[in-house]
Amino acid sequence: MKTKQISFWIAAIALVATMASCAKKETTGITKPVIPPSHPINSDTIGSFEKGTLLAGKTYTMNHDVYVNIGDTLLAQAGTTIIVKNNSQFKIQGVFQSMGTQASPVTFDSDTHTPGTWGGFACDSAQAVTIQWTKILNTGGPDATGGTRRTLVVSKPIKVDIEDSWVENGQDDGLGLFGGAQITVLRNTIQSGGSTDGEAINIKTGTTGTVAYNVIFSQAGTGIKLETAKVVTTAPTNVDVYNNTMVSCGWRRGAAEPGRGVSAGVSAKGNVFNNIIVNCYHGLEIFVDDGAGNVNYGNNLFYSTADTFVDNTPLNATPPGAAITVNLRAGYYPAGALGVPQASDIISTSVATGNPMFKTFDGSFLNPNGAANNNDFHLQAGSPAIGKGNPTYNADMGAYTSDGKGNKH
Amino acid sequence: MVKKLYFFSFFLFSTALVFGQNGTLKGRIIDEETRQPLAGAIIHIDDLANSSAADEKGNYVLSNITPGEYVVKINFIGYAGYEKKIKIGAGDVLVLNIQLSQDIQNLNTVNVVGRLPTENEAAARANEKNSDNLKNVVSAQAIEKSPDINAANVLQRVSGVTIQRNAGGDDSYAIIRGLEPRYNNTLINGVQIASPDSKTRLVSLSVVPSDLLARIEVDKTLTPEMDGDAIGGTVNLVFKDAPDKREITATGSVGYGQLFIDRKFADFSKADIKTYSPSETNGPGYVAQPGDFTRSNLDFKNITPPPTETFSFSYGDRFLNNKLGLLIANSYQNLYFGSNTEGDDGNADPNDPDHRPRINDIYNRAISSRQILNNLITHLDYRINDKNKITLDNVLLYSRLEEASFTADTSITGGNGGRTVPGTGPVNFINQSTTSNQIIENLKLAGNHVLSKHFLFDWYGAFSDAFVRLPDQASINSNIAITYDPSTNQFTKTPDYFDEIDRTWSHNNDKDYSGAANITYKTSIKNTFLELKAGGFYRDKTRYNYEDEYILRPVASTAGEKVVFSDIYSAQWVVYNPYGAGEFNVNNYNAFEDITAFYGQFKLTFPRLQIFGGVRNEITSEGFHVRQDITNASDVTKNYSDILPSISFKYKLNEIANLRLAYFASIARPAYYELVPTVPPSTGGTSVEGNPNLKHTTANNYDLRYELFPKADEQFFIGAYYKQLTNPIEYSYGGNSGSATIYQPMNSDEAKVAGVELAFTRYWGNFGLSGNYAYNYSDVAGIKVDRNNPVARVIEHRMLTGASVHDLNLSFLYRNKDAKFNAEVAYQYLGKTLVGIYPDNGDNYIQQPLSSLAFSADKAISKHFTLFTKLNNLTNTHTTVVLHNFQNGNEITKATYLLGMRYNY
Repeated sequence: MKTKQISFWIAAIALVATMASCAKKETTGITKPVIPPSHPINSDTIGSFEKGTLLAGKTYTMNHDVYVNIGDTLLAQAGTTIIVKNNSQFKIQGVFQSMGTQASPVTFDSDTHTPGTWGGFACDSAQAVTIQWTKILNTGGPDATGGTRRTLVVSKPIKVDIEDSWVENGQDDGLGLFGGAQITVLRNTIQSGGSTDGEAINIKTGTTGTVAYNVIFSQAGTGIKLETAKVVTTAPTNVDVYNNTMVSCGWRRGAAEPGRGVSAGVSAKGNVFNNIIVNCYHGLEIFVDDGAGNVNYGNNLFYSTADTFVDNTPLNATPPGAAITVNLRAGYYPAGALGVPQASDIISTSVATGNPMFKTFDGSFLNPNGAANNNDFHLQAGSPAIGKGNPTYNADMGAYTSDGKGNKH
Repeated sequence: MVKKLYFFSFFLFSTALVFGQNGTLKGRIIDEETRQPLAGAIIHIDDLANSSAADEKGNYVLSNITPGEYVVKINFIGYAGYEKKIKIGAGDVLVLNIQLSQDIQNLNTVNVVGRLPTENEAAARANEKNSDNLKNVVSAQAIEKSPDINAANVLQRVSGVTIQRNAGGDDSYAIIRGLEPRYNNTLINGVQIASPDSKTRLVSLSVVPSDLLARIEVDKTLTPEMDGDAIGGTVNLVFKDAPDKREITATGSVGYGQLFIDRKFADFSKADIKTYSPSETNGPGYVAQPGDFTRSNLDFKNITPPPTETFSFSYGDRFLNNKLGLLIANSYQNLYFGSNTEGDDGNADPNDPDHRPRINDIYNRAISSRQILNNLITHLDYRINDKNKITLDNVLLYSRLEEASFTADTSITGGNGGRTVPGTGPVNFINQSTTSNQIIENLKLAGNHVLSKHFLFDWYGAFSDAFVRLPDQASINSNIAITYDPSTNQFTKTPDYFDEIDRTWSHNNDKDYSGAANITYKTSIKNTFLELKAGGFYRDKTRYNYEDEYILRPVASTAGEKVVFSDIYSAQWVVYNPYGAGEFNVNNYNAFEDITAFYGQFKLTFPRLQIFGGVRNEITSEGFHVRQDITNASDVTKNYSDILPSISFKYKLNEIANLRLAYFASIARPAYYELVPTVPPSTGGTSVEGNPNLKHTTANNYDLRYELFPKADEQFFIGAYYKQLTNPIEYSYGGNSGSATIYQPMNSDEAKVAGVELAFTRYWGNFGLSGNYAYNYSDVAGIKVDRNNPVARVIEHRMLTGASVHDLNLSFLYRNKDAKFNAEVAYQYLGKTLVGIYPDNGDNYIQQPLSSLAFSADKAISKHFTLFTKLNNLTNTHTTVVLHNFQNGNEITKATYLLGMRYNY
């Protein structure tokens, strides 16, 4: 029965192929209509209530807060530039889409190009957020009540898709993803954010999804933080954190609140694999309040370009205190926390061992907020991180993988 | 400015006493029918500024009467007037025993001619007995003899009343019959007071000194002529009235608190505090500079505080042939108090299969407060003739608070890792200095006019104003971490890092203009008396609240790192929001409330039964304007009208006992700010968001009470009540803003309150026992988060916020007339109280039962001088609040001691 059917199909295909080769070559011409963008925004300035399309290649000046009402969509086409003045902010209650491309990213920046000069994206009660190939620079100006502002914040159970984008020089959290949001955060670069506090990706209160192939450089606090809820019962936060590269994070907040490459607390769940954590204050910290067994982890690489970091900040106090010497390798899995080294990890025991062999890295630890990043965290050939990843996620470790699925920056 | 108002002038007075062969009139005043002494009845001689009140045995003495012929008059509530001509000779001692007959027609009406005695215990009992509604009255005499120095202390000893205090203890509000302060109203001389609170309509009772009060009345049922916005009850603070003859009293005392014997008082400099914020001083758009912010008010020093001191003075007299009465009194209190609190905040434990709360923070807070109260009352009354009287009352309450608060908060879970082993964790320090100046004024002009034999007209116009300014409330935040390395067995403490400084300037003003007019018609047919009364009331309230806030952030080190905090003078900061928050602050709002009311009521009095009833219509128009984010509501108005019927029956079982049955409908309006839908900024912690859809609460109230007045100063009450509330307002979980939890005031469908109250006062010779007990049951269907399924909401039946199940007060009294000595030991027991609502079902913040003991005594050491002492909280009672299975807060205030001298002329 089966065999008969297969042979029938083989015969049929052969017949069709013969007929095609015999037929005269046919040409097809399709004329695509030019579809105009929905509600094009033709004005050079934006502010107040906006919906529609920010047009490709156009530069807009934003003078006031922009509100996107429930049911409305604001879409930025590839290559749009938005210059934000007067510490303004996007307040999204509807749908926000920033559709940059590798060739033509979308750019949001303030007119002064200095850290902390505009308000970022308040998507607290948005309906959906999609951000692709978009540069979001220099956010973090205070709100009108003096409160700090994250670069982007979501507090509702909506779909949030942030891919291939840059978040640079903010003053607080880079991405604050709360309230049961379903997140896809892939292949982004988040760097030099947080003045003296703030995490790069702060995930709390029941958020679920994936955070992968991101590069996080010089964040004031923790690179990726997972927490369930401090105040009210919610469903557990549950996120897969894999193939991220975290470098020089956690130094600006001081010894009382050291930052981590990745932390998990208050019963957060997750899978933490294939990450490269270099020169961070602490590496992977699973807090006691997370409870054992909530987080699976392994195949992470920990490295430091020195054995210790000497924090001289206390010397400037009156009376001067003693400098703090941070034993970097002891901080990969900090004492007193639940995380312990895994056999699949690559854990540096000296400057000579476990080096992931970035293409270029200046070996910095503490950098000021808004510092430039002249490093290239692609892996050189022969990096121990190549081929040592957990294959469930990727054969390699870090954000730049040899299979091309990784970060494209 | 304010201070100047308080430099009251001392009245210089001279008394020319003529010592000669003058006569004396004395005797006993009793009820004609019951033969009971009529304590408090005032006897006066027409042509002389000379009067006397009968004591608890009915005895009176009028001495030093120049020989001649006089008319003796007696006025006493509920009794027919008495007049008799007497002739007194030099050196005569004339004995005149008087029997008064009850005059049912006069019951509880305003007698424009005679002043009713109001300040002694007998008068308080007479007031309770004869009133048209159910009330409890505390006389000035009882207050003076009690351990209490402010109205809040006094009220907590009233049957069915408990006091809600804020942390630090400077604010106190009355909870009546388990109904929290929102369900009650507070009056001064019968008129509602403007509120100094920035968000609510409440007035703290701790700013009202007890020594200026004539009495405190707690009305537990309403009559149509009363404001309808009280479900629990009405607290009416009646200030002193002009006496019938010259009276001068002065009191001074000093005291100390055990708290500051055991620890130091945290003080800070007030010298540099700027009254106005940088944007208020320089106009909007001003870019604040680091140097615009003072440092000395964040420089805390530990001192040994000077003693608490109180001083009061009162002068009352009558002029112009007794037509003009004056009373001026001032009370000054300079108090040092504070508290030590340790507590644990809790949240749901995801590891607990039941998701019950567990500790996530441990905090220690030490508060040091100095409060200066300076209160001036003036009263003038003018008796135009026997039928017309005008009175003017002004009450000015000034309060200044200087408070230092130190908090150390250790994260047990969350934040940056919490506690690993005991003694470890991230610790956040908040040191805050607050000063506030508050002034409340209540001015009332009233008139009583007997129009004819049957008609009486009365009216008042009142202005009430409350203003508060908090200049530069400053707090500095810093943090350390204590870690433990099990491999080396070492604890490590990091330096103290400088986080942030917060500076807030705020002020608010609440202003009421109100007026009322009533007309009364009285008539009688045989033994039946009918009184009809109708009237109208209007109140216009406007208020604003302004707040400006600046955040100062430390300058990072050159390397970019957070710096270590050394001291306030070397701290370097930048102004994070240099424009301030004055233009856009969630606490900036204007509100108004107009209330128009009309009522008609009747009182039908048969020999044994009195039926009192009527209906009141209250029409409310209220709203607010808020300056905030343009996508949120900026203006909300609400209009509603309530028809509030009431009926009550008073059945006179015999001359000394009444049985009362009452029904009334009443309402409670939401606090102003509870309607304002501000969206708090998305920072951590918890915040409160208003709810413009909040409805006002309405209630049906039923009361039954048996009253027995065996003697003039004795009583026995037993009663029961039942209340049905529609749309009660309780705080519930209202979602998240960022990672912060939002609470919102919400209406539950219904609440029921029922209870039993018992009160008594009894004397055996020199010994007396006075007490009361209240049992309260309440049930509200609150909306809660289902702890096992957080996206779902469940209904939880529980007691009302503020309700206590048991409330017991017992006072052992000793009075010895011969030794001129009085003493009182006051004991209080308060059962479990629900003080806060936890967002998940199954748990709430429960204050544990507490008992406290106070003592007071006075001894007359000469004709004019009395020595007294008031000792409070002798058992060092802790206020402990429990959440689930751990201590949420444990506040210690310790004992206070006061010793003073009273002068009476």
